Amino acid sequence: MAQMQLNNACKDYGSLRVIDKLNLKVEDGSFTVFVGPSGCGKSTLLRMIAGLEHISDGELLIDGERKNEATPVGRGVAMVFQNYALYPHMSVERNIGFGLKMAKLEKKDIQDRVQKAAEILKIEPLLKRKPAALSGGQRQRVAIGRAIVREPGLFLFDEPLSNLDAELRVAMRVEIAKLHRTLGSTMIYVTHDQTEAMTLADTIVVLHDGTIEQVGSPVELYNDPDNMFVAGFIGSPRMNFLQGTVTLEGNGANVQLLSGARIPVTPEQTEQWTAGMRVHVGMRPEHLRVCEKADPSSISVNVDVMENLGGTRYIYGQTGDGENITVEYREEHLLRSGDTVSVRMDTDKLRLFAESGARLRLATV
Amino acid sequence: MSAARNNDAMIGKSSPWATWLVGAVAFLWIIPIVGIIVTSIRPLNEISLGWWNVEQFTLTLDAWRTVWDKYPLAYAFWVSVKISVISTLIPMIFAPMAAYAFHFLQFRFRRVMLIIVINAFVLPSQVVVIPLFVLWRKLGLIDNIWAVIIPFAGMSFAWAVYLVKSYLDDFPRELIEAAQVDGCGPIARFFYIVLPNSLTPIAAVGILQFLWTWNGLLLPVVYLREELPLTALLARIQGVYDRNWDQVAVAAIVTTVVPLIIFIVFQRYFTAGASTRSGSKE
Repeated sequence: MAQMQLNNACKDYGSLRVIDKLNLKVEDGSFTVFVGPSGCGKSTLLRMIAGLEHISDGELLIDGERKNEATPVGRGVAMVFQNYALYPHMSVERNIGFGLKMAKLEKKDIQDRVQKAAEILKIEPLLKRKPAALSGGQRQRVAIGRAIVREPGLFLFDEPLSNLDAELRVAMRVEIAKLHRTLGSTMIYVTHDQTEAMTLADTIVVLHDGTIEQVGSPVELYNDPDNMFVAGFIGSPRMNFLQGTVTLEGNGANVQLLSGARIPVTPEQTEQWTAGMRVHVGMRPEHLRVCEKADPSSISVNVDVMENLGGTRYIYGQTGDGENITVEYREEHLLRSGDTVSVRMDTDKLRLFAESGARLRLATV
Repeated sequence: MSAARNNDAMIGKSSPWATWLVGAVAFLWIIPIVGIIVTSIRPLNEISLGWWNVEQFTLTLDAWRTVWDKYPLAYAFWVSVKISVISTLIPMIFAPMAAYAFHFLQFRFRRVMLIIVINAFVLPSQVVVIPLFVLWRKLGLIDNIWAVIIPFAGMSFAWAVYLVKSYLDDFPRELIEAAQVDGCGPIARFFYIVLPNSLTPIAAVGILQFLWTWNGLLLPVVYLREELPLTALLARIQGVYDRNWDQVAVAAIVTTVVPLIIFIVFQRYFTAGASTRSGSKE
């Protein structure tokens, strides 16, 4: 187990800065997920922690010690790669034991530890096979085996499930969660899949353009995003954003949508608010309801597509002003493209964002 | 009918014409080989009318005996083996190391050094013959097999490094990184990970270099006097008498048989070498 800390960490490729003065603390024994869109720097950050990329500026501390110049072994990290990266000429057994051989452990000791790792991952019958004779899922297990056998303080996973099919991905996700519980080690996991992030993480770090947008538990990020980027990135289908204008009324305020619907709100800090300011009103599809009758606070939606996921249905449509909107649909009767429905929102669940994307907090939350 | 033909083409059946054509070309190709063999086992007076002439047909091993008795054929064979094996092993060992360093390691002047090494490609070996001769004479290396081995090995580096490096272009970088995470330094990464997975281009280097050095004539003829390899001996046999085609044929067979065996046994590596050089995946 290990604690990891980055202080003002930067990564430059020539004149291009891809990680900018990043500060982060990963607690001992936690499962931290780096999530963000492609090119946000999450893999680069992981590789900087692993020792595969030089840290251009700033500091990496592992258990309080500066490790910028240390080798991956010196940092006490093990890594699972996206493409498994199993050595094709070695058997599974030798693949798993290779790191231990390099560490000059006794043969007997290596055998025992490989056996133990194989038991944990249920790959004992595969030990004599070469990687080419394994399925994708089995290869991924071997890759994980190679990491756990070294008993590192810090596990790094670089999109380990993205090459697996959907079913296997879910199964392996559960296994990784179990593994974390069994080993209790600190794990850092990179993914662009926010479902993986939500299901696995104790802590999610949302990255965007080389900087951290927000750090928090999955529930915190879902319920209490700091900005529009996090609000849009976490949650599937993504949060709807409608444009609105603020009118002030004493201590309270109203947000008027383009459709004309008025939503009364109570700002947490009124100094951020000015009359006539434009805001983005964020509401999750699951917090919208189709209602029988239109009223002043409801929005009328033209249905484009209805997506049926079995248990849940989603309406993809447009408001009268041409803004895209997704609504979770719980009624029985099916809608068709071109139908118009009235949608009402849970006003206590809506999130407001300034033009800049910063969150405007409401007193009710 | 035409539909059926299209169908044949689609499932990969070649037309009978192609078979005949390839057969004819193969036959033309093999005539000189048959000619050499026949020449070596018929008396000189018969073959002076043409080896294909069958008015009189006698089989004899005289030429083989004469060549074996008169010329140091076994010794020349041994010299050829020594020169070829040593000049082949050197690039087989060092070219992958150089290719690995150029491809995976970061060091100063990497690019410039690579360009210099690869540039030797454009240097014809004939250009270095005279300057090297002067150098070897000063160093007293004339008639020493190293006078031939050093340029043979040296001049092979350009294409050998290039061939292995092209292969490494497709080598998965994650394997190198995984080894790094597993605690391998740059040298261990080469020996444990890159080398075992690069046997195909290394074999291609070995075979091409062996054939090149085995068949090499110019450098041995210029730098060697008594320590002659087979090719140089063949040239000498040809030069001493005017009409000894039967003996020349024997020497030619002895010289050719090794490359021929190598070619037949290791055929698949030739294609591997070609595909590696073209940068395509196997």
